[in-house]
Amino acid sequence: MILIVGGAFQGKTNYAVSRFSLSHSDVARGSECRLSDVLSARCVADYHQLVRRLLSEGSDPLIFTEQLCAENEAAVVIMDEIGCGVIPLEKSERIWREAVGRCGCMLAERADIVIRMICGIPTVIKGELP
Amino acid sequence: MITLITGGSKCGKSRYAEDILTGFDGRRIYVAAMQPYGEEAHEAIARHRRLRAGKGFETIERYTDIGELQLPQGCAVLLECVGNLCANEMFRDGKMYRPADKISAEIQLLAARAEELVIVTNQVGSDGISYTEGTAAYMAEMEKINRSIAVSADCVIECVYGIPLVLKGALPCSGR
Repeated sequence: MILIVGGAFQGKTNYAVSRFSLSHSDVARGSECRLSDVLSARCVADYHQLVRRLLSEGSDPLIFTEQLCAENEAAVVIMDEIGCGVIPLEKSERIWREAVGRCGCMLAERADIVIRMICGIPTVIKGELP
Repeated sequence: MITLITGGSKCGKSRYAEDILTGFDGRRIYVAAMQPYGEEAHEAIARHRRLRAGKGFETIERYTDIGELQLPQGCAVLLECVGNLCANEMFRDGKMYRPADKISAEIQLLAARAEELVIVTNQVGSDGISYTEGTAAYMAEMEKINRSIAVSADCVIECVYGIPLVLKGALPCSGR
């Protein structure tokens, strides 16, 4: 598994598509795709939005992430870093922020390669690119 | 030696900080700054207790005035975390204070007594949202403290979803 993290609009998806020879149709968007697609897609983007959807459905995002790691080992997973602000006033936002952090830690631990994007520039922070 | 660990919320900072001190041969003191008010604080405190159970820390709860802590010479201290400490110092007695300089000075007092000081903080200025006066002031104080600690720290690490990135110095040997 390859994990790409970074702030919003840093060029994560475009980088994934070009670097890992994907087409945009290979990319399942966590904000809108079917959950089953996440378990088979070559690339899953907006994973932080998928976490929000899972929470709103009453599912445990960590259990789903565990399933993703087990069933879609070759996936490129893309998610925003969202934890670098002040604690949100809304409880649901705090729960989401915590769940995204924990899922991100799990994905990073399982991934062979973790890449962080800033201003379109990738930095490999775990493993080595093929 | 001072090690500063920063990063986003829930990104493995505490676990990493504890692991750095696991190899320390001496008393390990955990200074907990989170006040146990409300259900979520209780849950967070319980989670942190589970996380460091069996790692050999003595816990001292200290919400303000960390400079007054009586510490044995040559111990290791893990201060968790600057975000809570800053909020506790800043908003008390129904007033708002600007505690950055006070906290920075008190951290230097701890550093003088501890052989190893590991400080967990938080990046709070990167969500692009404009906040009201009190919160904006909190962000300014937090980042002022962070910059101040980073100047005197031997090692500064940013945790990204559990992965330590070295911003200054070298990774402490037991934290590799």
